[in-house]
Amino acid sequence: MSETPFRNPGWAGNTGEFELSEADVRGSAFVGRRPPEGVHPSTSASYPFMRVERDPGAKLFDGPWRERFEKMLTRYPTAMAALLPTLNLAQELRGHISPETMDEVAGLLGLSSAYVRGVATFYTMYNKRPVGRYLIQVCTNISCSLCGADEVLAAFLKHVGAELGENSSDGNFTVVEAECLAACGFPTCVQINERYFEDVSAGDVPAILKRLVSELEGE
Amino acid sequence: MASNGRKADTVTLTIDGREVAVPRGTSLLQAAAALGIEVPHYCYHPGLSAPAQCRICLVEVEGAPKLQPSCVTIAQDGQTVHTDSELARGMRQGVLEFYLVNHPLDCPICDMSGECSLQDYVFAEGRERGRAQEPKRVFGRDDFGGDVLYYGDRCVMCTRCVRFMDEVARDSRLTVVERGDRAVIDTFFDSGLDGASFAGNVVDICPVGALVSKDFLHKARAWDLDHAPSVCPNCSQGCNIELHTRDNLVQRLKPRENPEVNGHWMCDYGRSRYEWMNRTGRIERPAMGRGEERSEADWPGTLEALAARLAGNEGEIAIVASPFCSVEALGALSQLAKEAGEAAAAVFRSPRAGDEDPLPGFPLLVRRRDLAPNVDGARLLGYARTGTDDGSGGLDEVAAHRGVVFVLGDDLNDQPDDFGAAADLFVYLGTFDSPAARNADFVLPVTTFAEEEGTFVNAQRRVQRFGQGLRAPGSARPAWLVLGALLAFLKSGKTPANAAEAFAALADEIPALSGMSHESIGPGGVRLEAAHA
Ligand code: SF4
Ligand code: SF4
Repeated sequence: MSETPFRNPGWAGNTGEFELSEADVRGSAFVGRRPPEGVHPSTSASYPFMRVERDPGAKLFDGPWRERFEKMLTRYPTAMAALLPTLNLAQELRGHISPETMDEVAGLLGLSSAYVRGVATFYTMYNKRPVGRYLIQVCTNISCSLCGADEVLAAFLKHVGAELGENSSDGNFTVVEAECLAACGFPTCVQINERYFEDVSAGDVPAILKRLVSELEGE
Repeated sequence: MASNGRKADTVTLTIDGREVAVPRGTSLLQAAAALGIEVPHYCYHPGLSAPAQCRICLVEVEGAPKLQPSCVTIAQDGQTVHTDSELARGMRQGVLEFYLVNHPLDCPICDMSGECSLQDYVFAEGRERGRAQEPKRVFGRDDFGGDVLYYGDRCVMCTRCVRFMDEVARDSRLTVVERGDRAVIDTFFDSGLDGASFAGNVVDICPVGALVSKDFLHKARAWDLDHAPSVCPNCSQGCNIELHTRDNLVQRLKPRENPEVNGHWMCDYGRSRYEWMNRTGRIERPAMGRGEERSEADWPGTLEALAARLAGNEGEIAIVASPFCSVEALGALSQLAKEAGEAAAAVFRSPRAGDEDPLPGFPLLVRRRDLAPNVDGARLLGYARTGTDDGSGGLDEVAAHRGVVFVLGDDLNDQPDDFGAAADLFVYLGTFDSPAARNADFVLPVTTFAEEEGTFVNAQRRVQRFGQGLRAPGSARPAWLVLGALLAFLKSGKTPANAAEAFAALADEIPALSGMSHESIGPGGVRLEAAHA
């Protein structure tokens, strides 16, 4: 558990009324980073994890990734149905879905490359270009907007030092806007890789970034 | 429903106050069409699946809580449907207003203008002015390769083009990229449509000017074109088409629906080959005399002189005819030859492709190996193939033939200058002069299929009629008329007044055609076997 002093400890549901640690809330298996082979094959690629370390040139799919891919395939009736989780897996591994990745996924599933491109571009949660180690998605939908999302977004952009959607020069951060993250009770909500940061105000931003950098350095 | 519990196979419903009975399973849109009521639609196309996504075919069905998409709602017994109620019209107006939010309204420079569904629907039912204040988004245009150009701003996202490539061409190259107002149709990045041999059809089915033909780009306005029903002459499939002409030139070819031959489609090979119909430098006047002695003459004098020569003929007759000629012409020539003497040979030459090219989603349509429209008609009328697969050679015997030589429609481009030099009588009925025709005693200018009416027999042995789209140059005449007139001289008969009469004369003589007439063949053609069944 990080000792970094800022108001929001970085997990869902902390209203200050309970003395719960991050580990209590998430369960210890969910604290920190995912192991490269995922947690359990049954959850494989059911959620687009953002790993901090990623390898745009990694093979689709090898070793434990292959196992997850094959396990996942058994859960979907058709190749079209398996496309989203396959893209999730590819993005988890490579960090973004490049044209080459689309083509390879099409080959893996026996779909046309154009179809895969159509699907990948329909969903905003697939990164079509490389993003920073931390992808910071600031919700600017209604609830968050009413509670200062614009300032939070501006603060992130300022402290990261990059334009909206661009990567910071050190490659650590990419700040984007997101639509509703389903945490309207805790605005402003910011999703950073797979973690939610709730009740974020503009003043929290430097501490959050500091914590993220310290996690990187702690590697 | 019938009282014995079995479903009757027709249902009766009321659309806009009129009753109609349609087969069970018919959609409301088709049922309305049976009454002559066109329900506006974009995504629905009779040759494709119906995703019901364009939302403009919604109609009011009494008893249903909200408007129903007529393209996928199946007609039920006793239903009462309103396609033109206030609710339906108001909804269409609203949907059209949304379609125009980002549409550039560049009709004055759009090739689709005049035949565009968006233009028609908005003109008929749209709001006079849009209320959108925001600037329109701009995509510009994208070259898809082949003959296809995409104007993203005009697209209504009906996905007909995507579904054509998926379902009919079975080559899923097109897709919707991005979403919302950023959505565009595209291929996999730069891969394009090159090499997709039926891709030109997406231009035909695009209901707006989003997909246009590069070949036709800014060439003519839709309302300036005349449409002549015809048959594609570029292979022996004989796809039913229309010649779209302007200024006595063919401007483009478009498929004409025939569920038994080509559906709604045609191939790019056939579609792109029409320039030859516009070629100038034709033979325009009849002429007599070999080489230096050649001089132009009028038709009556020429035909009389030729008929006299044929009447006194004693030599055997050799014929080279082209499978680009109609049944009427080929038939009249073989009748004439029969009348004038003994047959030595009757051959045709035509180019052949290395392979066939089927349309996977509509297997009846195959671009055939024979790249001429009437190969089967020529065979039926007793002509035999000669020469190589590029349509040349094979004429050595005819070239040196000593009796009578008839050449009909074959340009003899590969033949030596002394072709026919040994012949007693050499008659050349053609469209273009050629060095190998210099020994012809008679040069008779005839029309191309685009300049006459007639019939072809396709590879399914289907007799199909084509109509006239162009005026003939000079005094060129249809070959069936020229040959019919000669036959009339020889037999003291009557010259056929039109192609239908020329066909009727043949039907009397040729068992395979007996009982058929232009009228019985109709616009969709008849299979030879079916005519005698
Ligand atoms: S390009 Fe034409 S056919 Fe294709 S989706 Fe757009 S409007 Fe429809
Ligand atoms: S398949 Fe043959 S007849 Fe049909 S369009 Fe192509 S070339 Fe013409």
